[in-house]
Amino acid sequence: MNTSQEIDSTPPAVEISRLADHLFRHEAGKLVSILTGIFGTSRLQLAEDVVQEALVRALQTWPYYGIPKNPAAWLTQTAKNLALDLIRREKLFQDKEPEIITFVEQWSAEPRPDDAVSFDTEIEDDRLRLMFACCHPLIPQESQTALALKTLCGFSPAEIAKAFLTTEAAIAKRLTRARQRIRELRVPFAVPAGEELAGRLDAVLQTLYLLFNEGYKASSGEQLVRAELCHEAIRLVTLLARHAVGNRPSIHALAALMFLNTARLPARTDPDGNILRLNEQDRSSWDTSMIARGLYHLSQSAAGEELTAYHLQAGIAACHCTAVDFASTDWPRILSLYDRLVELDDSPVIALNRAVALAHVQGPEAGVEAVAGIRDQQLLDSYYLLHAVLAQFEAQLNHFQRAAEHLRKAIQLTELKSEQLLLSNRLHDCERRAREAAALQI
Amino acid sequence: MSTPTPTPTTDYLLLFRGTNWDKHLSPEQLQKLVTDWYTWFERLKQEGKCAGGHPLQAEGKIVSGKKGRTIADGPFVESKEAIGGYFYLQVASESEAVAIAQQCPGLEHGCVVEVRPVADMCSARARAIEMASRTGELTGVPA
Repeated sequence: MNTSQEIDSTPPAVEISRLADHLFRHEAGKLVSILTGIFGTSRLQLAEDVVQEALVRALQTWPYYGIPKNPAAWLTQTAKNLALDLIRREKLFQDKEPEIITFVEQWSAEPRPDDAVSFDTEIEDDRLRLMFACCHPLIPQESQTALALKTLCGFSPAEIAKAFLTTEAAIAKRLTRARQRIRELRVPFAVPAGEELAGRLDAVLQTLYLLFNEGYKASSGEQLVRAELCHEAIRLVTLLARHAVGNRPSIHALAALMFLNTARLPARTDPDGNILRLNEQDRSSWDTSMIARGLYHLSQSAAGEELTAYHLQAGIAACHCTAVDFASTDWPRILSLYDRLVELDDSPVIALNRAVALAHVQGPEAGVEAVAGIRDQQLLDSYYLLHAVLAQFEAQLNHFQRAAEHLRKAIQLTELKSEQLLLSNRLHDCERRAREAAALQI
Repeated sequence: MSTPTPTPTTDYLLLFRGTNWDKHLSPEQLQKLVTDWYTWFERLKQEGKCAGGHPLQAEGKIVSGKKGRTIADGPFVESKEAIGGYFYLQVASESEAVAIAQQCPGLEHGCVVEVRPVADMCSARARAIEMASRTGELTGVPA
């Protein structure tokens, strides 16, 4: 008989888990890539299912027997066994079966040290092939990003739904459609070569850029999931940049822009989650190793003749990252980068950002004029930042009444609580200063 | 004492029921569950409250009928009733065993935990002994 023990006695120190952050998620992406290489793109779902089952097996055994020394190798071995069982039992592949079985058997979970390098390269190649398959230009754009997150980054439909502010069912539908499209189009599991490569690469970069932006813009949605989108986009773009195919200026430029913007993410909010403006941010909390990696990719991107929108955006981010404080920001250089960016991309949002840079160089009046001159300005009317920017200019010109009007409009247009709070504080400030100015005139 | 009084048991089994609740979790959730469950199990063992535990394979056989003539595959893999694993607890009271069951990290995902006291002896044998002690037909039993 046991002596009675108090339930709430302090638990003895237990061994902290050896599992690295996101181990399962990243292993899932790797394994789905390898299995898709074996099964073919038309059986993408099968590859995803086998990997899911391997993860569930880990849950069912590790808690009792302890976490294996090499968890990644355990997962690989389990996925391999499950794949072999499935192929033998279900007779899914008819004539190709012996070939596939030999292939899976040769696929080693724990490679000998001498071929570890070539094995890693092989996995990276598989992930790249899957990236090109997911980002095929004939698959709808929204499905491409969802499929890349599911298969390459190991996100669940629920997590993808949270990131894209939609329902799990809608995401499931997108995924099914994308897989179906891959089957119909017989999308090959290959990195395209020759002339086809350039076009297909643009589509891949566009998808990665969207993925990143979705995480970065933080207009709404769960903050945490969104930061992870940025990190996943960085993971995929560096995978691409490391590869022989990816050693291109545009890819390095995209990588640079992601690193340099993500480096500043931790400083964008205060401890209460309120958004901080650039001049209020604590620059010491910017991630210097990310800035260094961003600057490295930026220097790599300078090779060759190509100048893409990614280059210019990375250049602008670099100006902010390398300024010691807000006052020493090189606004003339930022403005010249925006001038060239506007030539490449006539989006009114970019024009609005250019107006901010212009105001820093030539004063708020020039800013107001530049905003008035934006083509398709009416497209921006429901964009809260347009009104926030105009409010800023008007306040600098001591037009507090007008600034307050713009702020009220901006508050109506944003759904993000932290943005509303920031704008309300500015509104109270403007109203106070408008009252003071009126009092002085009496 | 003519009737042996059953001693209060200190051993309990926690049976984790359902073999399908974990199939749709995300990789992130699965990883968290692995570490939470592992930490929970290790803590109970270190506190001396858990003597061991094992997962159970989903596949098996069900033997039934006279002389075990009927052998079927089972339990069914999709079953909510099937047992996925167990812990063998040694605790002071049922309420403590229940309190431990309430800490199961799988609960929020739909795992069901059954708490069963381990009887000192098989209840059929206990009844037989009780009857024998009254009638004195059985030898070797302390009366």
